Amino acid sequence: MKKFLTILAMFASLALIAAACGSTLDEAAETATDAAGDAADAVDEAMEDDEAMEDDEAMEDDEAMEDDEAMEDGDAMAEHLGDGSLGTVIVEDGAEVQIRSLNAISGDVAFLGLPNQRGVEQAVVDYGDIKGFSVTSGEGLDDLCSADGGQAAAQQIVADEQIVGIIGTSCSGAATAAAPLISDAGMVMISGSNTSPALTSDQQGNAGPDWRVGYYRTAHNDLFQGAAMAEFVFNELGLTSAAAIHDGDPYTNGLADAFANAFSELGGEVTSVTGVAKEDTDMVPVLTEVAAGSPQALFFPIFQPAGDFVADQAGGVAGLEDTVLLAADGLLNDGFMGLEQSVGIHFSGPDTRFGTNTNQSTGVSAEDFLATYEANNGSAPEAPFWGHSYDATALLLDAIDAASWVDGDGNLNIDRQGVRDHLNSVRGYEGLIGTINCDDFGDCGSQKITIIEHLDAADIPASQANVVFEYAPQ
Amino acid sequence: MTAAVKVKGARRTGVDWFLLFLRVLLIGLIAIGLLAFIAQQIDPNNWFARLTHDGEAASRLSWPQFRGLIVTGLSQGAMYGLIALGYSMVYGVLGFINFAHGEVFMVGAFTGFIMSNKFDEAGWWDGPIFIPVILITILVSTLVATATAVIMERVAYRPLRGSPRLIPLITSIGVSFFIQNAVILLFGPGAKGYPPNPDWLEETIPVVGIEVKKLLVIVVAAISMAGLWYFVERTKTGKAMRAVAEDKEIASLMGIDVNKTIVTTFAVGGAMAGIAGILWGILFKSVIATTGFLPGIKAFTAAVVGGVGNLGGAMAGGVSLGSAEALAPLMLLEPLGVEGPSQLRDAVVFTLLILVLLVKPTGLFGERLSSEDRA
Amino acid sequence: MSNATKTPILEFRNINTHYGAVHILKDVNLAIYPGEMVCLLGGNASGKSTTLKTLLGMVTPTTGEVVLDGEVVNDKPTSYRVERGITMVPENRRLFKRLSVGENLQLGAYLRNDKDGIKNDLERIYDMFPRVKERLTQKAGTLSGGEQQMVAMGRALMASPRVLLMDEPSMGLAPALVQTNFELIQQIHEEGIAIFMVEQNANMALSIADRGWVLQTGKVVLDDTADALLQNPDLRKSYLGEA
Repeated sequence: MKKFLTILAMFASLALIAAACGSTLDEAAETATDAAGDAADAVDEAMEDDEAMEDDEAMEDDEAMEDDEAMEDGDAMAEHLGDGSLGTVIVEDGAEVQIRSLNAISGDVAFLGLPNQRGVEQAVVDYGDIKGFSVTSGEGLDDLCSADGGQAAAQQIVADEQIVGIIGTSCSGAATAAAPLISDAGMVMISGSNTSPALTSDQQGNAGPDWRVGYYRTAHNDLFQGAAMAEFVFNELGLTSAAAIHDGDPYTNGLADAFANAFSELGGEVTSVTGVAKEDTDMVPVLTEVAAGSPQALFFPIFQPAGDFVADQAGGVAGLEDTVLLAADGLLNDGFMGLEQSVGIHFSGPDTRFGTNTNQSTGVSAEDFLATYEANNGSAPEAPFWGHSYDATALLLDAIDAASWVDGDGNLNIDRQGVRDHLNSVRGYEGLIGTINCDDFGDCGSQKITIIEHLDAADIPASQANVVFEYAPQ
Repeated sequence: MTAAVKVKGARRTGVDWFLLFLRVLLIGLIAIGLLAFIAQQIDPNNWFARLTHDGEAASRLSWPQFRGLIVTGLSQGAMYGLIALGYSMVYGVLGFINFAHGEVFMVGAFTGFIMSNKFDEAGWWDGPIFIPVILITILVSTLVATATAVIMERVAYRPLRGSPRLIPLITSIGVSFFIQNAVILLFGPGAKGYPPNPDWLEETIPVVGIEVKKLLVIVVAAISMAGLWYFVERTKTGKAMRAVAEDKEIASLMGIDVNKTIVTTFAVGGAMAGIAGILWGILFKSVIATTGFLPGIKAFTAAVVGGVGNLGGAMAGGVSLGSAEALAPLMLLEPLGVEGPSQLRDAVVFTLLILVLLVKPTGLFGERLSSEDRA
Repeated sequence: MSNATKTPILEFRNINTHYGAVHILKDVNLAIYPGEMVCLLGGNASGKSTTLKTLLGMVTPTTGEVVLDGEVVNDKPTSYRVERGITMVPENRRLFKRLSVGENLQLGAYLRNDKDGIKNDLERIYDMFPRVKERLTQKAGTLSGGEQQMVAMGRALMASPRVLLMDEPSMGLAPALVQTNFELIQQIHEEGIAIFMVEQNANMALSIADRGWVLQTGKVVLDDTADALLQNPDLRKSYLGEA
């Protein structure tokens, strides 16, 4: 008996130490926002960057470049982008240009990764040949939405020197592990759904801890989503005090902090930024902690199931009866919005009203894309990042075109550095998701965030169309 | 472990000093935290509060907020207590920890999910006959959980009777995985929602400020515990159960069927877990295949805190654990300046466990067992 | 006694038992008749405990028959035998220490359903052991050794046995209590209950018993009346401490 208790005590001590260490790490991550992958981590979109816009004029213009290439068709060797510093991929006459899709296509998050992969595949088809060479995205690879999955897939990719670049990953956690390998191999990766600020920059000119030079994304940086929500609460709702709850995950942590920082910069009072444990079901203690500061608004950019409990229990906590509840795209899904308690909550998320936006490289519009998608797959995509993945693919193919030439033997030569040079210079590119501009740290996304008000658990599409606020930093 | 025979005046070893240090540290932290809490309730802008809150004043909890914490702690603790009973009873009778007991609880919650949704489709869940409907749901959930526990004993543990205690312990971990995965296979890995409760259940009783559903949880748990107490203490079967827990050989000498009594023990423990499961569903309206894990571990902790094998201890352990979990983040950690104190709830639970084991190794209500009873 | 005319309540016919590969009881034959007092003597590891366990069905013999009222009960559980009037006061009493004295007594009557009979037996036990009645609500573990012995006997009597097996009744008792204890046993015997006593204190046991057996490494080496055994020189040498 005593022995048993001793072992138990040791067990418990270990658990305690683990818990303590875990929380320390979380705190460190609050600023560093290191990217542990989560399905909904990726459920975010792309944003435009002020600074990048300003730089625009100083940089050379996209269309001008295209004109250049058209003119120098005959003697291409001299007129391609890149200095050869990262080597050259030689595609032999008759072979295909190799790119890959790396997305979460199995498990719980397949709803996110599959549309991404299909977006890549459709873009390859729509784009057509590059200088007479056809392009293939090969067999779709799986990032498993985890660091391990991202690393394993990246190792497989870098072993194949014919691959120029990849479109992915779906999850930020997978990207954190994959980006160093891909970047070191001279390849590029463009993600359609990573949103962790750690992968690019803090939007103040400082690279994130996980930033790599070959990394790009068309999804937004979460800092914008936080800012969008702050603007909405302060300016639109006219509320002056707010609190935020995260769940310790880098995505939610980063978003809660981004919101809090933006809100206090606007002049609002942040009463508390606190955390829940992901497995918690009883939210009364954390809600009471929040209630002690009497905030007028509560932003909880977390996931299910913790989000369900916050939404359900907030009304019963003294001091939160009239507090406006706000959630982010992590909860912007049918599962959460189908719950009665989610009615009345405002959600921030990517502006997915792509409408008739048209990709300038392929000439295909969002409507065309969806028609083809439904025809091929039998149903509409379940997550909106197909558009981001489609544009990412078109950008990559444009870059390959700009960095390649056909040599005397009829082989296509692709300068790896040239691909990056092209991507770094993308400005004012019109994609399905809107206007795309790449900044110095790989943030290329269109910038629109929308905020919707959820009206009816039985009619989720109507709520998703009920945009009450739009945000687009200029 | 060789019994710690301490000779008077024997030198303390490094380990003794460390344990003493740990005791003093933990109790000291609790004392400081509590004092700081009281201080900031009186004056949120006192020097200590400013020190721990980056120079700003702390927030004061209002009475309704404080009351909300107590009620939530009690209702949560009542459920832990119900689950803990099963751990404690099985430990008492068979001397091993049935780690799959949390899954029995989950099965109860899942059955409640199926029943409640069926009733909801029929329009009975949120209707005038809610009371009989909920009673039927509780009954069926309890029966299914009981059956699960009994089958578990028959299939997984009985064949191992007489083997070293570690064997059924490891088996129980396997059983736990098996049940979790079976549920995933049957119902999928996602969260399953209960239908919304009738409005009156979500109301707060005016003057006392208790939510009706939490009151329901506390009342049902209290009735179940009282029923169990009566069963174990007053009925013939209950006495037989206690006799088997103490000495199987002599119990069988009295003519008690030991196997049947062990099955009864599992069944009763399963029933309590089943009741906890459906209460959980009503309170949180959501269940997934892994729902049983964390409450299971905490209930087990509650059983140890209360003294394993002691039923009153399991109940008391559950309630004190639930209350500590609800109150400690704001009454101890927040005043000490810990950020995101609610994230450390689990740490609170296990610290409490360590503290109790350090101060009273047999648990709060545990009796020191003589060596002839337990190896 | 005219044993020839009575059927034994309990009987061993050529019993052999094994514990793993170890041969414990070797061709043991015993018979206990209604109302008599018999004792089984033997040193350590002679097979006394195994004999008791086999009688009660806690050990199954490899060969041979355990016969209860003429019925072979080898494959019947303990409860079956208890129900038919066999019960035991175990070595060291083995009370349920965390249960109250009253509960211990009630458990003795676990298999009985005759409420009136149980009530009568309780009264009888209170008469026999007034101290037990005083301590009814107390936990059995808190009693003194002598009181525990009383409760243990009371518990056994609550089963309303025809044969009472006693495993080392004087073990662990203060010398002063041993005498009292044997007086109690005689008192029970006088109520017509057959007693089968396993005892190391051969002198004491034989002085109150009718018959006795001596068991040595699993074999019955002596089987005679108590008086004869008391006179047996071999026995005197090995068990009665006479040189």
